[in-house]
Amino acid sequence: MSTQVPKQTDESSENATDAETTVPSKGDARREEKRRRAAERREERQAEEAERAAAAEDTVELKVFRYDPEVEGKQEPRFDTFHVPFEKGMTVLDALMYSRDTYDSSLTFRHSCRQAICGSDAMFVNGTQHLACKTQISELSEPIRVEPLPHAEVTKDLVVDMEHFYDQMHAVEPYFQTNELPDGELDEQRQTRENREKVKMSTRCIWCAACMSSCNIAAGDNEYLGPAAINKAYRFAMDEREGEEIKQKRLEIIEQEHGVWRCQTQFSCTVVCPKDIPLTEHIQELKREAVKSNLKFW
Amino acid sequence: MSQSYNRGLIEDFGRWREFSAGMWAWIFHKFTGWVLVGYLFTHIAVLSTAIPAAGAEEAVLQAGDDVYTQTIVTLEELLLVRILEVGLLAVAVFHMLNGTRLLLVDLGIGLESQDKSFYASLVLTGAITVASVPTFIAGAF
Amino acid sequence: MAERYSSFSSGGNMWLLQRLTAAFLIVVLAFHFFLLHFVHHADEVSFLMSAGRMETLSYYSLMVLFLLTATFHGVNGVYNALINQGLTGTKRTVVKWTLIVASVVLIVQGIRTANAWAGIGLF
Ligand code: HEM
Ligand code: SF4
Ligand code: FES
Repeated sequence: MSTQVPKQTDESSENATDAETTVPSKGDARREEKRRRAAERREERQAEEAERAAAAEDTVELKVFRYDPEVEGKQEPRFDTFHVPFEKGMTVLDALMYSRDTYDSSLTFRHSCRQAICGSDAMFVNGTQHLACKTQISELSEPIRVEPLPHAEVTKDLVVDMEHFYDQMHAVEPYFQTNELPDGELDEQRQTRENREKVKMSTRCIWCAACMSSCNIAAGDNEYLGPAAINKAYRFAMDEREGEEIKQKRLEIIEQEHGVWRCQTQFSCTVVCPKDIPLTEHIQELKREAVKSNLKFW
Repeated sequence: MSQSYNRGLIEDFGRWREFSAGMWAWIFHKFTGWVLVGYLFTHIAVLSTAIPAAGAEEAVLQAGDDVYTQTIVTLEELLLVRILEVGLLAVAVFHMLNGTRLLLVDLGIGLESQDKSFYASLVLTGAITVASVPTFIAGAF
Repeated sequence: MAERYSSFSSGGNMWLLQRLTAAFLIVVLAFHFFLLHFVHHADEVSFLMSAGRMETLSYYSLMVLFLLTATFHGVNGVYNALINQGLTGTKRTVVKWTLIVASVVLIVQGIRTANAWAGIGLF
């Protein structure tokens, strides 16, 4: 059971040097003493809590990847173990939040909606990409290993740098474009039911990057657009309201060297996507569309 | 963000234990593909002993004493070569079956059962290879 | 970033050719294995037998086509695999031309061999 021991020693030594350089006022000294006591009490409480949890019957063991470039004792990545009392319906995110709130407030991860719609908490749980808030503890074998998404730079603990992923998403121009406007200025741009059905699954992407993280090719070729961006391109290329001309432009984007041709149909993205988007199917359909439009061009 | 931690090689192939069916199919297809090109080059190198052999006397050719025939016969007498040939068959059969699977995937056929078709390729490769062993080893002893 | 693609892309054509050669190879490779391991056996190979087959024009042309498609398919496959691993720049140009030269040597050598059997003077 390791909680935040290294950080605490760091903090107190920092404070000590502060105290030496500037002459502390009485109030400062008192506050300092108070803080120290509070920290002590917190540590005691955490230790008790941890002991109780470890001894209790229905607890789950979490092994969580830890790394913090800004704290000296934590620059070397390591795994921390947390024992969390199990409750029916508990998700990996719940367990992480419990660990953070009870044992170590420095444990860092992204989350927001807690209902699989904001896409902030994709992580690597027991060896596959999962949305932490959509993954039931009861379906995992213990100890549960929680790591940040592979193939991305780790910023801190479970937080990875998403910038590259967002760049790839933006590269496919992920917004509706058309130059075939209806006649009346106020007319709606209606989509047929069939066409809506066709793009339905592809609209469900929540930009979580689980697919990108699972892809071997994206790992080797940094310029590869990746499954999510190609799926985004599919969503618009297949939308009939955009018209032929825009579709050609979209096909050109996905047909570039680091676009669809890099896909090796490993299906890893389709397997991990938390929104069940048939990514490989969409990529394959775009390949065929591209080939067809090239043949027509001849 | 001033620093970040890259987990290195473990990210790519250190995770093979966690690979899913389609990823294994990819690894095997790659491996077999490379073995096949490698073989294609050696194959042509060995066969091209036929070029000097073509200049031999008719009688030498009849007796099978030319360079080409001698080279092949010497090679085929080695048990090791026979075993490697069985290996080559397995590699080629897998590449063909999984290649067919990939062609179907490219056509958008049977995407939902892509994992099952991979397992089927493996089992069939095994069966065809085992069934061919007698023919491939014949005359080696 | 959206601007980084060029209007010229041969990626699609190579992709298609890789699949077309694959479809052709399934049939021919199966035939090749069957003929030379099951119909004829490995311990019965001789120059005259090979020559006998090669003298038929249809067999000769099938084998030359086999050589061409297999070389393209194999070498293009290797090149693709390297691009997937992020091969770029000068290294990539070097690899590309090395592969092209190797393919040409392979094809020339293969055709000379076939000619030697077929009794065509060019070898
Ligand atoms: C017999 C029928 C064959 C079929 C159906 C077949 C099918 C395929 C397909 C579909 C691919 C593309 C994989 C991709 O890029 O996603 C491929 C790759 C490849 N094939 Fe074949 N192939 C066959 C024969 C051969 C032969 C005879 C050779 C050797 C000369 C060969 C060597 C390769 C290589 C080197 C690759 C690239 C592997 C990689 O990605 O690293 N194949 N094959
Ligand atoms: S396609 Fe699926 S896995 Fe990929 S970013 Fe979108 S929701 Fe996440
Ligand atoms: S917290 Fe929003 S998707 Fe999990």
